[in-house]
Amino acid sequence: MDSLVSAVVLVSIGRHPVSGQARRAASDARAVELALRVVPAERLTLLHAGDPSPAILRDYLGMGAPRLVCLAMPTGVDPLPALAAWLATASPSLVLTGTTAEAGEGSGMVPYWLAHRLGLRLVPAIAGLTMASGEAAMVQAVPGGRRRQLFCPLPLLATVGSRAPGPRLSAFARARRGVLYAAPARGEPDARQDWAARPARARPTRAMQGASGSASERLRAGRGDTGSGKRGGDETTLANIDPENAADRILGYLREEGLLGR
Amino acid sequence: MSGRQRVDPRQRLSGRARAAVAAEHILGEVLRVENPSHLIGAVAMLDRGRLSQADLSLLAAARQVADSLGGAVVLILLLPLGEKLRGDPAQAGVDRVLELHHEGFAGYAPALRAVALSDVVETLELRHVLFSEDPLGGGDLGRRVAMWLGDRPATGMIRWVDDQVECRQDGGLTDVRRPAPRVLIVAGGAFAPIAEARLREARSLPAPVWRVASGDVRDGGLLDFDPQSVPIDEAELVVSAGNGLTDWSSFHVLAGLLGAAEAGSRAVVDAGHMPRTAQVGASGSLIAPACYIALGIAGASQHLQGIARCQRVIAVNTDLHAEMVRRADLAIIADAQAVMPALIRRLRVSSGG
Repeated sequence: MDSLVSAVVLVSIGRHPVSGQARRAASDARAVELALRVVPAERLTLLHAGDPSPAILRDYLGMGAPRLVCLAMPTGVDPLPALAAWLATASPSLVLTGTTAEAGEGSGMVPYWLAHRLGLRLVPAIAGLTMASGEAAMVQAVPGGRRRQLFCPLPLLATVGSRAPGPRLSAFARARRGVLYAAPARGEPDARQDWAARPARARPTRAMQGASGSASERLRAGRGDTGSGKRGGDETTLANIDPENAADRILGYLREEGLLGR
Repeated sequence: MSGRQRVDPRQRLSGRARAAVAAEHILGEVLRVENPSHLIGAVAMLDRGRLSQADLSLLAAARQVADSLGGAVVLILLLPLGEKLRGDPAQAGVDRVLELHHEGFAGYAPALRAVALSDVVETLELRHVLFSEDPLGGGDLGRRVAMWLGDRPATGMIRWVDDQVECRQDGGLTDVRRPAPRVLIVAGGAFAPIAEARLREARSLPAPVWRVASGDVRDGGLLDFDPQSVPIDEAELVVSAGNGLTDWSSFHVLAGLLGAAEAGSRAVVDAGHMPRTAQVGASGSLIAPACYIALGIAGASQHLQGIARCQRVIAVNTDLHAEMVRRADLAIIADAQAVMPALIRRLRVSSGG
């Protein structure tokens, strides 16, 4: 652990996608977990903008962070200028946050906006983080199960993706012991208030699209267990083929798709 | 020009008139858009040099935007030096193609890409530029480009209505309609890929001048990994066993030689041949590898749900009428116990082991 590094983790109030219960936002909790692994707990500050009263905020403190600063402002205002001003004063060497909020606009723009405003380097969706001689070494989960290593000097803003280590449990005693500072702050008016909002409607599945033939085929197309992702027209079925030829065909197909000897 | 359909997008066609134009058009003929009033960009991230499923639905969204504004779709590609797009974009509703080449596009260089794209958007005066939502690819790039353009992008775009955009927000509970900004980030699966294969021109555009930004993040390359240890919901190549598989030692050797993650149907997991984490299907994992090799799997409907998002499926099964054989892109009607040793021999020879 590099004792000179101070870290701030931006945390939000999450919402369970099924039950709607308030909870630690999944990716913010992963960000707290990563921060606890790379900096000593006393150099870690959690930052939240909004209502300081929800008990969920203490769940983050229960993970082991000693303090949480809440920039108190009503919901529905733009918290970005206040967050930027606080971070500019604190100037931490490492800022971590989740990828997108689980409630509200959830645009995922907060880290991008802050990085742009504060002139910080931004690395998205990291899955691991270590510190070495004033530099952060990060890994990103690229498709296919591989990990890409990235190096970046501090100060740095990184968002933590879903492949990062899972968050530790929140301990009740630590949650009580942690200190929650509520600092009154000003939110700016948000253009989002003027946008027309209505409850989301699930789009009807287009069962008939591209499907023809018998009722069972249309049902299968609507259910999505065939056809989707399958390119039309070039399916091959080889019957009465001996194993040696079959092996050649399979390897030829894999080679053609660039999946062999990666 | 004789015999070719000319469409002037500046003419505001009503829905019915547009349908008439479409009906007149003969399949196989190239549809051209001359002097479009707007250019709509679509930035494809590609998969092994090909347009991926996400790119195709991105182009469908761009097509819808362009048609409602009377514009043309520009497919924008960021390619390493000397690389070309594999496949024909003309079938994907593309009017123009713009290729930017730089050696840095081979590695991880978000700053280089974002500055290049924002320059292109400004120079070509693209009215909108679309990205597909993907935390490391289009989603990241689109947000960076929006910051460079000073834009508040529409994220999670699910619909285009006149010149407004509808986005899913609030954790999927609310649909918000807002004036369309320049940068649109399209939610995954919101637009079905263009179904009819009407050919478009896909004319190549000359690349404008763009600034080359230096990267601030150093790319350390991909780490060594053991493909077999990758969780099946992350793996690129998955080899999977069903009830028709009895030779388990060959199965494990084959997976190792192919560099594939191992999976199984509910039947083999229940029988104790594979761990529960390896189960594919409705009650296991829903996976989306680039290729799924099914050995001796009949293809119960619950299992097929698990592989609905697989791009390519290879099936080896003794039953010609199995559902898995119908789902497969390449189906071999043979016994997996006979095919596996043949595969292993060939892979050992080619790896020199």
